[in-house]
Amino acid sequence: MTTTLEHTAVAEESQGGGLARYQNAGTAVAGGVLFAFLFWLIARKTMDPTGEAFNDQVTTILGCGWIIGFWFGIGAFNGPMRWLLGRDHSRADDLYYAGHNQGRARYWKYTTDHKVVGVQYIIVTMGLLGVGGLLAMAIRTELIMPGNHFVNQQVYNAFISLHGMIMILALIVAIAGPWANFVMPIMIGARDMAFPRLNALSLWTLVSAASLLVAVAAVGGLTMGWVVLAPITDQNGVGMDLFALTIVVFAVSSTVGGVNVVCTILTMRTKGMTLERVPIFVWGAITTSALALYAFPFFFLVEVLQLLDRNVATSFFVSGGGGTGWLQANLFWLMGHPEVYVILTPAVAACFEIAAVMARKPVFSYRTAVAAMVGLSGLSILVWAHHMFTSGWAPTLGGPFMVTTEIISIPTGLFFLVLIGTLWRGHIWMKLPTIWMFGFIANFIIGGITGIYLSDIPIDNQLHGTMFVTAHFHYIFVGSVLFGAVAALAFWFPKVTGRFLDEFLGRISFWLVFIGVQVTFLAMFASGLKGMPRRVSSYSVIFDHTNLITTIGAYIIMSGMLVLLGAIIKSWGHGEPSGPNPWHANSLEWMVPTPPPLENFDVMPVITEDPYNFREEMVRS
Amino acid sequence: MTDSDNDKTSLKSFFWLWGILTIVGVVLGLYGPSHLMPKSMSPNMHLTILTMVIFTVAAAPVAAGVYAATIYVLRNWTHKGDEPPPPAKPVRENGIIVATWVSISVLLTLFLLIWGLGALAEDNASASSNPLIVNVIAQQWVWTFQYPGTHVESNSLYLPEGREVEFHVSSDDVTHGFWIVQMGVQVDANPGVITTIHTTPNVLGTFDVRCEQFCGLNHAFMDALGDVVTPQQFSTWLAAQPQRT
Ligand SMILES: [Cu+2]
Ligand SMILES: [Cu+2]
Repeated sequence: MTTTLEHTAVAEESQGGGLARYQNAGTAVAGGVLFAFLFWLIARKTMDPTGEAFNDQVTTILGCGWIIGFWFGIGAFNGPMRWLLGRDHSRADDLYYAGHNQGRARYWKYTTDHKVVGVQYIIVTMGLLGVGGLLAMAIRTELIMPGNHFVNQQVYNAFISLHGMIMILALIVAIAGPWANFVMPIMIGARDMAFPRLNALSLWTLVSAASLLVAVAAVGGLTMGWVVLAPITDQNGVGMDLFALTIVVFAVSSTVGGVNVVCTILTMRTKGMTLERVPIFVWGAITTSALALYAFPFFFLVEVLQLLDRNVATSFFVSGGGGTGWLQANLFWLMGHPEVYVILTPAVAACFEIAAVMARKPVFSYRTAVAAMVGLSGLSILVWAHHMFTSGWAPTLGGPFMVTTEIISIPTGLFFLVLIGTLWRGHIWMKLPTIWMFGFIANFIIGGITGIYLSDIPIDNQLHGTMFVTAHFHYIFVGSVLFGAVAALAFWFPKVTGRFLDEFLGRISFWLVFIGVQVTFLAMFASGLKGMPRRVSSYSVIFDHTNLITTIGAYIIMSGMLVLLGAIIKSWGHGEPSGPNPWHANSLEWMVPTPPPLENFDVMPVITEDPYNFREEMVRS
Repeated sequence: MTDSDNDKTSLKSFFWLWGILTIVGVVLGLYGPSHLMPKSMSPNMHLTILTMVIFTVAAAPVAAGVYAATIYVLRNWTHKGDEPPPPAKPVRENGIIVATWVSISVLLTLFLLIWGLGALAEDNASASSNPLIVNVIAQQWVWTFQYPGTHVESNSLYLPEGREVEFHVSSDDVTHGFWIVQMGVQVDANPGVITTIHTTPNVLGTFDVRCEQFCGLNHAFMDALGDVVTPQQFSTWLAAQPQRT
């Protein structure tokens, strides 16, 4: 089928694409700048220059200009406009949009092929991790000893806020972005996502939002931590407006992406691919996307109301104007806790997948794995106020929220059961993905147990707001999610590039990052237990040893990440060729050629069993 | 390694490892928190440290079990090389294991909840009907303490030993976090709202008040000194203070 289509495509090549032939990331930036400038001109003319909110209004409107212009420039509006004009896409147009025969240029365009979008997400994630990581190193360098030395406090405060926000964005997309896009549709036997153009939209809206964060830094930054809760936001300059816009657009991106993943999994599975036969990673993708669909609208809402408060003098969060900062805190954490599981679940699911394939054994108790992921997502929407135990808001709710939070340890414990049950008596192939997966297990137990302390109110009354909290969630985000993300990268890298991620450099990187994480964050637990608050640029001398150790550890992590970057760059072009099925796995993504052709399958596969029946003759022809 | 070898693999070393790691965890639990955390100066802090110890001891066998299993798996069932190992014996379900695991984690969670809710009730319980009231006012980046009934206003927090204190906390500008480090109590200071916490200082000596909610430029330096003194010293101090007009 595909072959016939591609033959016709060659003939029609010259007619396909229309306007999109001239659009790419360059025109997107040009459009963004142009519109930003136009909107700025209009805002200066129309807004009241004597008004209190003049600067905020001009900045917000300018930011909207950047976003809209960027979307025009990249081609996000082409499809809807053609539909309105009654000139729907022809087959040739669709092939052009899918990046057919465009070589590397398609990675810089509004390309609908899910595999291109997956690779674009890898690049975006690496960019975000790079910037966020540099900020982390700046923070740790400042904290190497008490007192302010390298950066002034204002700059330091901007660093911690941007570090937090950039890393949250990076981790939200780190696994779901690349792999729910690149491999998930192939895993379920689909030719593409349910809505290929929405897939491109989700990627490029994310890029337009993330680039606004650069502008936030340029206009003086954000100086109150990434949670940006009123009333301290009132004291921030116009960086706050751009930041809120970033979040609003990011929420659009994740909603569009989430809808797409959920619809794809529910409707695009090939014949015989029942929900109990999909690879377990697919369950991770659908739970995390469904949870994102619940969580991020709160994020959208909270920042829209914040923009209104700042720009047109509403008072949703202004005490004295009938509003309250506690409203904002509640809305924020209604998003904030589920978001943790939006980040974590894909890492867990990727580790399940890797454990099964590398141990040459089925996932132990597949249904337990599904129940744990679904249960965790469900519970995570009922726990948000544990972030407000010490806020003074509704003390009577402390007990109930403590109960819901501690119940989370039950599904979390099941993750370990499934992982260890899968590995137990396996024939475990110790390759790069396996090693990083073991790192995930080791770190996740520490991250998980320290979370139990914080769910207990008498303990939280002491440790809330301290470095103990910071160390806890870094064990989750760096120790667990980053390890899961690298494991997933090492596992599916051969499918993307046809080459192995360099085993030798990858192992060096593993040991550096693994040791670095223990050094950095165990010492940070000690700082927190001793009573060091978070988000400080300086500290009392009693915390000096543990902070020095943490900073040394952070440099070890950084060196490990640089080695990993080196491994990726080296292997992408010159790595050892892997063939289409290097791990001798059974799921569909390994059955197609590498790189997978446009639309993935010549003949749609029919599925009769789950992919975990490893046999002596494993490679199906 | 073949499957029959696997079946004969002795679990003895696994249980040894589990036992040893559990003991390590218990020892860490017994000494870690009390060694690292600030010295306790109130029943709340005492309870916090005790809960830390109990939870660590309770978590030790769980974490040790996971580590022991992981190490055991790594020692017995790994294969190196470029060729994939042969398929392992598939085990898709084991109802007994799942049920046991779930039951144990439910029991452990119940224990955490019962202990936690009990401790919370104890934490919140008021010891006396006649507490000393102290108004705490936060502003960027200083703490001010007022003693209602007097006109005393101070930037250091003096408290009498052995009497319950109720703090009425508010802010003049942004949200701050009022935290008495050695007494294990925290509450946000918000503009336009009064939040309360209470505790009973039970050890004489100095302590630290820190801001634990990010509050802008000099957040890192928003500290105050505190001192727990005898009731007599406290009244003497109060009388000697300049009266605010
Ligand atoms: Cu939470
Ligand atoms: Cu403060």
